[in-house]
Amino acid sequence: MRYFLRRAGFFLATLWAAITLNFLIPRLQPGDPAEAIVSRLGGQSQAIDPAQVESIRKMLGTPDGNLLTQYGDYLAAVARGDFGISYTYFPYSVTHMIGQGLPWTLILVGVTQVVSFVAGTLLGAWAAYRRNSRVDSVITLGSTFVGTLPFFWLALVLIYVFAITLNWFPTGGGYGGGSDPGWNWLFFSDAFQHSILPAVSLLIVGPIGWIIGMRNNMVQTLGEDYARLARAKGLPRRRVALTYGARIAVLPNVTGFAIALGGILGGTVLVESIFNYPGLGRMMLEAVSNRDYPLMQALFLFITVGVLIANLLADLLYGVLDPRVRREEAG
Amino acid sequence: MALLEVDDLSVTYSPRDGTPVRAVDGVSFEIADGEFVGLLGESGSGKSTLGNAILRLLDKPAAVSGGSVRFDGVAVTSASEEEIRPLRWAKISTVFQSSMNSLNPVITIGAQFADTFAAHGREGDPATLLDLVSLDADVLRRYPHELSGGMKQRVALALALALEPKFVLLDEPTTGLDVVVQHNILQRLRELQSQLGFAVLFISHDLGTVMEMADRVMVMYAGELVEDQPARAMMSAQLHPYTQGLLGSYADPRATEISVDYIPGRPPDLSRPQVGCRFAARCPVAIDDCSTQHPQLLPAGAGTARCLLVERAGLVDARRARSFVAVRAEAPAVDPVLTVTDAAKEYRGKRAVDGVSFELRPGQVTALVGQSGSGKTTIARLVTGVERPTSGSVTFTGGVDVGSLRGRKLRAYRRHTQLVFQDPFAALNPTRTPAYALSRPLQNHLGLSKAQARTRAGELLETVGLHPASQYLDKLPHQLSGGQRQRVVIARALAPEPRILVADEPISMLDVSIRAEILELLDNLVRTRQLGMLYITHDLLSARLLADEVLVLNEGQVVERGRTLQVIQNAQATYTQELLDAIPNPVTRS
Repeated sequence: MRYFLRRAGFFLATLWAAITLNFLIPRLQPGDPAEAIVSRLGGQSQAIDPAQVESIRKMLGTPDGNLLTQYGDYLAAVARGDFGISYTYFPYSVTHMIGQGLPWTLILVGVTQVVSFVAGTLLGAWAAYRRNSRVDSVITLGSTFVGTLPFFWLALVLIYVFAITLNWFPTGGGYGGGSDPGWNWLFFSDAFQHSILPAVSLLIVGPIGWIIGMRNNMVQTLGEDYARLARAKGLPRRRVALTYGARIAVLPNVTGFAIALGGILGGTVLVESIFNYPGLGRMMLEAVSNRDYPLMQALFLFITVGVLIANLLADLLYGVLDPRVRREEAG
Repeated sequence: MALLEVDDLSVTYSPRDGTPVRAVDGVSFEIADGEFVGLLGESGSGKSTLGNAILRLLDKPAAVSGGSVRFDGVAVTSASEEEIRPLRWAKISTVFQSSMNSLNPVITIGAQFADTFAAHGREGDPATLLDLVSLDADVLRRYPHELSGGMKQRVALALALALEPKFVLLDEPTTGLDVVVQHNILQRLRELQSQLGFAVLFISHDLGTVMEMADRVMVMYAGELVEDQPARAMMSAQLHPYTQGLLGSYADPRATEISVDYIPGRPPDLSRPQVGCRFAARCPVAIDDCSTQHPQLLPAGAGTARCLLVERAGLVDARRARSFVAVRAEAPAVDPVLTVTDAAKEYRGKRAVDGVSFELRPGQVTALVGQSGSGKTTIARLVTGVERPTSGSVTFTGGVDVGSLRGRKLRAYRRHTQLVFQDPFAALNPTRTPAYALSRPLQNHLGLSKAQARTRAGELLETVGLHPASQYLDKLPHQLSGGQRQRVVIARALAPEPRILVADEPISMLDVSIRAEILELLDNLVRTRQLGMLYITHDLLSARLLADEVLVLNEGQVVERGRTLQVIQNAQATYTQELLDAIPNPVTRS
């Protein structure tokens, strides 16, 4: 129990620090977003009119007052889930935009991550179980080879072969022109078709890390004295592999997986840009290139909180799976 | 038909990139029902590999390359895994080396009993089994990390007896445990064995224990059996010079005059073809033929031996060929170099060390004896200035209060207190040569130039007996034997010309055959360089050999102190008695 409380306390402290940093860092940056917008609207040659800047600032609701009151307002706004108005997607609010992008990313990357983890761990365990056999060589060499291929190259090859040459799938986007987002069959099947190529590209590279990690951990645990003793005890081979090998080898992978889940948002920028997918990753890219501070800040906070929650889950899960951890923390 | 028949068994390690090594070479022996047999050998002799071959647990790259093992009529070496499985544990079980890691860390002890029973479709009562090894039934609900080393070892033993096997293979079952705990477990094992009547193959490098426990002892050297005799006969007449050397490394610490033997050198490199006797290079009585003729294991004495001299003359005497004779004259009354006065150290309100006082004097050795958790290492930390005493004081010569030193002054003090560690494998950076390891303190503390430091490093290696130094300066630690590494560690400790040497169990990880050699070296260094030495150990015999004065520690307090021989001969405290009883004493076995 004490272990879980400690973990939760640690989580809250880090959360507070993350929110505070997220508030401070943009305010330390040079440059004025209002001026940037004016200069973009008016082109490079025109001089910037201070009145114009001021009106844009009003329109965007750029904060004023001293740092402490700003901080107070900021915390209150975060608690309400109010992150202001997006500069890029004016006049939509940041919260609205995130709500738009989130389901796309969550479904595409969430599903592929879970599938990658499960498949990778199983393949890795199989390779370790059949160590030095042909299965092991194929899995290990294959994943090492695929792991060296650059992701964007793989994605482009998929687009070229299946979208352009064979014309089986669309080249990009989340859904086609023929359907409207909504709860109807046409839209779902359309969205599914659009998600296949990005999902496949993610599924090709996704399991690699889990395969290699799991195989190496399990080869090690199977070489430990407890696994040898289990063999000497005459336990069936599969039981030795599961309870005395995989059960222990999977522990570091579980932590890795929880952290990877938290990193979903950060990791999708590449895939969503390549496939022009309407998720949060692409939105983040646009926010950064347009100096859309409110959107950027909200997305960064989102990512941080995601990682933190994932870490908390990993810790809690680890406490359940590994009795050793509970003791060490308590003692 | 004997229970276990090993016939001309060879095991070869064939690594993918390396020359094959024949770790077990043509070994034959039998074990009868209910017999307790010891297998003695130093590290690398192939004894554990032999054990694994009997259990059919060899992992690649090791494989049986010749001969056979038959157990209870089943050809273990050629049967399929499915044919072997009913044998496993039901008839042949095992306890691994130290067992620290032989229990599954993520399931409870109870579950590990349960899966054993389930795998064989048997029922059993784990609580009764735990009772056999004096453990409570509530251990079943616990996880391995919640148990002490000794308790885990008992669990492993109880687990080995779960299905009432006919044969138990024990591979160094108590190495790494405290002497007193070790002693208790072995006592219990011996009782259980005579009660339940299973046969035992007891593998160990610890001759004292083997002799004390076993009915018959086999000695293994460089992959071969070199002697096989009933324990009692081996006790009165060891045939092979190697066995004689090993037995010579034991002595009764209570004796007024004491000396122990050692066997210099190291075992041959088995990846090369062997001609002649494998022990010839280390044998003090070898003749010319020994290096050209390979001796056979032939009947001799009350058993068999593999030695040309035994074959020809029937008897050899290699005893006392090289021995370390401990001479402890009345130590002169000199001023101490370090004085510890009534020192105490608390961690989180718990007293690790309580009211300890002693002096270190130049040219003399003070031993701290006690089991783990007795506060030995905390005292070492106080002496080296790593920790500050909670109360009391540590005073270096010239009135320096060690507890109050900081920064530059502490650094200057540390030059004078150097450490020799227990594990020579972990104490050296595996990627650095001795030349580098020795140059660092020389450059840091003495301000020598690089070239000067190298010259001095060579001299230091010669001082610790690594001769010629040029052969060792640029080797990497893995190219050195355990004993050679420990010499490098000692040389490094000497490098900044310290006044105090703190040696924390410096010989406990070394093979028995070379321990005395390292003790002799330390002894010489202390006398000739007038070092004050703090010798930390759990082993009263080595304390007796090396130390002028001994402090017996129990739970942070000194329970007994005095001149070493006096303390040992008239031990007053019960704890000291226990320590003395725990020393395996092959000579007085009844």
